[in-house]
Amino acid sequence: MCLGVPMRIVEINYPAATAEASGVRREVGLHLLPEEEIAVGDHVIVHVGFAIEKVEEGLADEIRRSLNEAMGAADGEGSGA
Amino acid sequence: MTRLSVEDLTERIHTLTPGDRTVRIMNVCGSHEHTIAFSGMRSLLPRNLELIPGPGCPVCVCPESDIINAIRLSKRQDVILVTYGDMLRVPSREGSIRAGGGNYRIITSPFEAVRIARANPRRKIVFFSIGFETTTAPAAAVLESGVPGNLYMLCSHRLTPAIMETLVRDAETGIDGFIAPGHVSAIVGSDAWNVFPAKYGIPAVVAGFEAENLLLGISDILARLGRREVRAGNVYGRVVRPGGNVRAQELMNKYFEVADVNWRGIGSVPSSGLELREEYGGRDARKVFGLGEVKEEKIPGCICGDIILGRAYPSACGLFGMACNPQSPAGPCMVSVEGACNIWYRTKKDRGNLPAKRDFKTEGRFIT
Ligand code: SF4
Repeated sequence: MCLGVPMRIVEINYPAATAEASGVRREVGLHLLPEEEIAVGDHVIVHVGFAIEKVEEGLADEIRRSLNEAMGAADGEGSGA
Repeated sequence: MTRLSVEDLTERIHTLTPGDRTVRIMNVCGSHEHTIAFSGMRSLLPRNLELIPGPGCPVCVCPESDIINAIRLSKRQDVILVTYGDMLRVPSREGSIRAGGGNYRIITSPFEAVRIARANPRRKIVFFSIGFETTTAPAAAVLESGVPGNLYMLCSHRLTPAIMETLVRDAETGIDGFIAPGHVSAIVGSDAWNVFPAKYGIPAVVAGFEAENLLLGISDILARLGRREVRAGNVYGRVVRPGGNVRAQELMNKYFEVADVNWRGIGSVPSSGLELREEYGGRDARKVFGLGEVKEEKIPGCICGDIILGRAYPSACGLFGMACNPQSPAGPCMVSVEGACNIWYRTKKDRGNLPAKRDFKTEGRFIT
């Protein structure tokens, strides 16, 4: 639930947006980031459906890698949200 | 900045760790404990350097009273309770939300609570909203964007800096340094931890979630030991700004106010939680449904409170891995993947690198 997931913004209809991670698209809220600071193609950290901060692409990849490891290990334990 | 390898960082940590005493560094984020446990980092570091899991799991600290109220609400015909998946299995003396078999739905975002409320105009939708700053800001954002009249909030949000200050005053825990949580800090800012070095002489350093970044954070804490500093460190500057996310802070402040609240297994902690402001009382499930406070009953044998406060490791619990496991959790710290007991259980099972070398099983409490 507390896990922040890095995603790439693919469409913006501020403050609504669509973001993508590992081929999965999800609706995300940009309410916590000023409109002028965010553009299609940007990477963001998403917590419970809301982008909380912008990150560079390289870091998004790193976070994703360590998250995959963690979640792979958590498989089958019923993490919920 | 050239990146240091795990070997370089480990060596630096060995050099910086004082040889004559135990140094206790606490993390306050389940994801940090995750990386520490799964990387097997503890076995690489000096024996007298303790990496202690702290209060980094919102599911673990949510009061039994709120769980019981949520179960009771879910059993009302006119209510649908919506909450994050982890909350469903948290045990209480009245069972869990899932075991209660009432009307409940799992959500992964506060948006879904709004959607469910719109789709069920004749039902009262109660959003059991829990978590630290990373879920509080989204909850505030959804309130700001306008929600239907049949949506209410059972608010159980907690503030990370407040519990850390309580920990520092708790002499029994004896913390030498904090690894401050990466994404909570993205919201509150690295400056939110300045109080620890400035007022208590305890270094705090914000770190990210990769093993290298955490090791860098730990070495930074060690380098700061004994120095009089007024600011917290930040090795996760690529995400975390000193002032944090100002917009998120403004929104939280608009809808919520600081209150004295209970932490499960710990008790009341002053100014450590948030409740809806008076103006939004019409949305507050506690007021609307007249929910009272149910006195907490200790779970026999469970030492979650001690674990959250850094007084004991999970393996010191007599139920750990036996009567309590992720499939049938006896205590709250075994439920969520952010709970220290859950993480330690999985580390042992999957990787075989539980830091048993230090014989925590027999010692349990930290020994100088
Ligand atoms: S192992 Fe289970 S019973 Fe023991 S402290 Fe952890 S959650 Fe509580």
